Amino acid sequence: MNDALQRLLDTLTAFLAENPLVGAWYTTVVRFVFPILALMILVGAIRSLWKVKHPDEVWGYLGMANGVRLPITHWENIIGRAPSCDVQLEYPSVSRQHAALIREDDGSWTVYDLGSKGGVTVNDLPVDEYAVVEDGDTIAFGGIPTMLVPISVEEKREQMVERRIEGRPAGMWGSLVLLTLFQVLTALQLIVAAGDEATVTIPLTFLVLTLVCWGYFIILRSFRRIGFEMETIAFFLCTLSLAVTGSTVPDEMPKQLVAILMGLAIFLILGFFLRDLTRAQKVRVFMGAAAVCLLVITLLIGSSQGGAKAWIRLGGMSLQPSELAKICYIFAGAATLDRLFNKRNLWMFIGLTGICGACLALQNDFGTALVFFVTFLVIAFLRSGDFATIGLICGGCFAGGMLLLTIKPHVAARFSSWGHIWEDVYGAGFQQTHTLTAAASGGMIGVGAGKGWLSGLAAADTDIVFGMLCEEWGLLIAILTILCIITLAVFAVRACRAGRSSFYTIAACAATSLLVFQTCLNVFGAVDILPFTGVTLPFVSNGGSSMLSAWGMLAFLKATDTRQNASFAVKLPSRRELRGEVD
Amino acid sequence: MRKIEKRGVFCLILAALLGLGLAVFCFQFVLDGGDWASYPYNRHLYSNSGQLKGGTILDRDGDVLSSLDENGNRTYYPDADIRRATLHAVGDPAGNIGAGALTAFAEKLSGYNLLTGVYSPLGTGNNLYLTIDAYLNNVAYQALGGMSGTVGVYNYKTGEILCMVSAPTFDPADPPNIDPDDPAWDGVYVNRLLSANSIPGSIFKVVTLNAAIENLPDLFSRTWTCTGSVEIGGDVVTCPYAHGEQDIEDALANSCNGVFGQLAVELGGDTMQKYTDAAGLTESIKVDGINTSQGHFNFDGNDNQLAWAGVGQGEDTMCPINMMLYMGAIANGGKAAMPRLIEKTTTDYGLPTGLYFAHKSSKLIEEDTADTISDMMHNNVIETYGQDRFPGMDICAKSGTAEVGADQTPNAWFTGFLRDEATPYAFIVLVENGGGGSSVAGTVASKVLTAAVEKGY
Repeated sequence: MNDALQRLLDTLTAFLAENPLVGAWYTTVVRFVFPILALMILVGAIRSLWKVKHPDEVWGYLGMANGVRLPITHWENIIGRAPSCDVQLEYPSVSRQHAALIREDDGSWTVYDLGSKGGVTVNDLPVDEYAVVEDGDTIAFGGIPTMLVPISVEEKREQMVERRIEGRPAGMWGSLVLLTLFQVLTALQLIVAAGDEATVTIPLTFLVLTLVCWGYFIILRSFRRIGFEMETIAFFLCTLSLAVTGSTVPDEMPKQLVAILMGLAIFLILGFFLRDLTRAQKVRVFMGAAAVCLLVITLLIGSSQGGAKAWIRLGGMSLQPSELAKICYIFAGAATLDRLFNKRNLWMFIGLTGICGACLALQNDFGTALVFFVTFLVIAFLRSGDFATIGLICGGCFAGGMLLLTIKPHVAARFSSWGHIWEDVYGAGFQQTHTLTAAASGGMIGVGAGKGWLSGLAAADTDIVFGMLCEEWGLLIAILTILCIITLAVFAVRACRAGRSSFYTIAACAATSLLVFQTCLNVFGAVDILPFTGVTLPFVSNGGSSMLSAWGMLAFLKATDTRQNASFAVKLPSRRELRGEVD
Repeated sequence: MRKIEKRGVFCLILAALLGLGLAVFCFQFVLDGGDWASYPYNRHLYSNSGQLKGGTILDRDGDVLSSLDENGNRTYYPDADIRRATLHAVGDPAGNIGAGALTAFAEKLSGYNLLTGVYSPLGTGNNLYLTIDAYLNNVAYQALGGMSGTVGVYNYKTGEILCMVSAPTFDPADPPNIDPDDPAWDGVYVNRLLSANSIPGSIFKVVTLNAAIENLPDLFSRTWTCTGSVEIGGDVVTCPYAHGEQDIEDALANSCNGVFGQLAVELGGDTMQKYTDAAGLTESIKVDGINTSQGHFNFDGNDNQLAWAGVGQGEDTMCPINMMLYMGAIANGGKAAMPRLIEKTTTDYGLPTGLYFAHKSSKLIEEDTADTISDMMHNNVIETYGQDRFPGMDICAKSGTAEVGADQTPNAWFTGFLRDEATPYAFIVLVENGGGGSSVAGTVASKVLTAAVEKGY
């Protein structure tokens, strides 16, 4: 296989060496083709995500005395008088937020009294804190009686059919073919650009990536899953990542490919794991501990690179544990609705954030600390909805940040060069000015993958990778890359509308915010809209740990996708269930 | 759940901020991309030694001033004198001359464009035609005769700069070792027409005259008797010799310091400042994107200092291009075309890559005043400088001799314009430490204008 590829490659490079014009014209033409392909891939994903509705799932009803049935559309529901409640009971004796009705994984229901004035009774027995509710039980909220009515088998089946039609994603094979074409043309372009120095690594890694894309689609399709928009976007970004790596350090392409494969594995494992909410709930504490452990171990045995002590070296491998800690941190921060009413839980999370922040500060990794902080803000806001507290936290952190500026000269230096990069193009503004110069050189369609010079600079494929995208791929593809991240964010928030549990919603919003904010820091830091922080661009930057973390984040997003048959992160009804053989 | 779902808007706000920032970046990219790309460390456009890889610079006649040979090395005009005469317009290989086309117009030469960036399938580099004429530049360079200084000639109706020479200069094909401390190389990388300030000397009297005409109604009925020295503000203002009895027209032709010193004091510092600003002498202008240096004038001193400032002797400095533009405005009824250097840019195949129009200046002087001053400046030539030095030209001029230090020969200035429809040229000549304005700078102007009118652009 390797030999055959090598022979093919030798023939190709020999031909290109004899006909230099062919290579030149290939680059000239293909750089117009890439943005079109990328646009079609992205538009395909966006159109599918946009067109598809996220229909409510009905899990049961609350039957009122007057015969009205109020649908229960989530696993976790707030019942009360306020319009923001999931089930609204407009009676004076019902408190604004009266009770929570929560579905367990086994299909049983629990009612929680949220400190209501009128109290909750189940079958006329007062509920102290919570009580298990059976189908057909009478639950009274402030004296208003309701009956928990299960959804019938016919209704369930009808709903499933309806949801399957409404939530049907557009076909994904077209996007996959386009993506494959993109990968093939990219590999060829890299070979053209490398000339004699082209190694078999380039076609080999791209071949494996293409096979993995097809394998993933085919296997999941055979498991009756049909929604692949997020994965298509991620695979597209990974293709760019492989190309960027191929342009800077071709020898690291296999490593990057392995990172993509491991990321995909983490994505699948985490996605399957998140299916079972009870199980996911149980490991939260463990995840919190893992986040702390990862960061503390780095602090103890880590080594420095680029000013930050953020790396652990094991043999020939180097790992950035803070990237993995991000996954654990979000896992620990998300919570189901019943836990949200317990203040102690938020305080424990604040404590966890404090420890993580302190560890990152001690590692001198302020970019990552900032990413953690914004993630914390999102989680804290989603959990409490309390602007005052969050304002206070922000104020405190602003003061802390100012203090940091006075004691950490290298952080202050980045702030002082911010907005003044052209005054010192070879000094303080070196990275940003060179990024912008290279970016402008690419114009709209780029000079061609492997043909740029920014790749020769330090951190070209990580911190200033956006400049490389602009230079070699053009502004259009750079914009599309950012739009990919924005699309993921918009889709995740949209999917949350029909979210089952607040655990998924909080985790997805936190993961989304993390991806988006990290993209902001990376891109805007490189082009001098924000101070330079040196974080990675999710999915695109060369780096194994960063790739793993990006795929991990994607798992949280995927878990919110409750469209019928769309996501592997949601259990499918069994064929037996579909046939209606279940009561 | 519904509450938490609503709080998810937070993520959308973050995503919107990312989109907004991206829009800002794209806006800057479109606006400033050409500047970003034109830095010497950009390996797409510059060789390792910092030389522009693409682009041909031609003069208005199509003579190639600088190009690339088949090995990618930058070449210059075959004749060494023309290379020296056009150095500051073309630029040097090391990029030291910031206002040279190789540096200032790198973006246009490289063929950078928004769509394909720096990489173009249609050959490397564009042709950039300058408005200057290499022949006329050489005439001016020879006329300077090795002295430092500058010669500028431009068409005040179209804005085209026909001649732009700055000295000292060197051969860009064979750059000498330049000792920065050597006075002979003082300011060698500076284009003295666009980027350096000098004491204006008596040519500034035109501005004082401009203010006096509009503020002193009886100016033309006044007479003065010059004894060679007059006391103003507790100290003397002197003339080279006693001019005797004279009206304002004679005083301009004689360039009488006493008369113009007294006028400046009578007008007052505020009025002088107002007219200096209105004449554009304190303003930095853009010549096809090259920012010229900004003049500095201060009329806040005592009466004696004000009198000296009014005759252009003292601390005040201005950029020659501003005075040339002001001369164009006097010739053209108050407004002149802004000076420009790029005639056209084309691809290798001759397709135009940009549009270059004449822009008018703001009103630098009232039309009536301008006509009066024109006639008086023409009288200068008749009475003092000698019409026979400018055969066949309807020329208006003012000379200047600017003191630059007790032990130094003064700087010689000669500025003005032609009133002929066919040759609407304004000009300025500065010969540093040259001596008498009319005798030295006027001779340079005579040679250059004669050549310009003969060739006719």
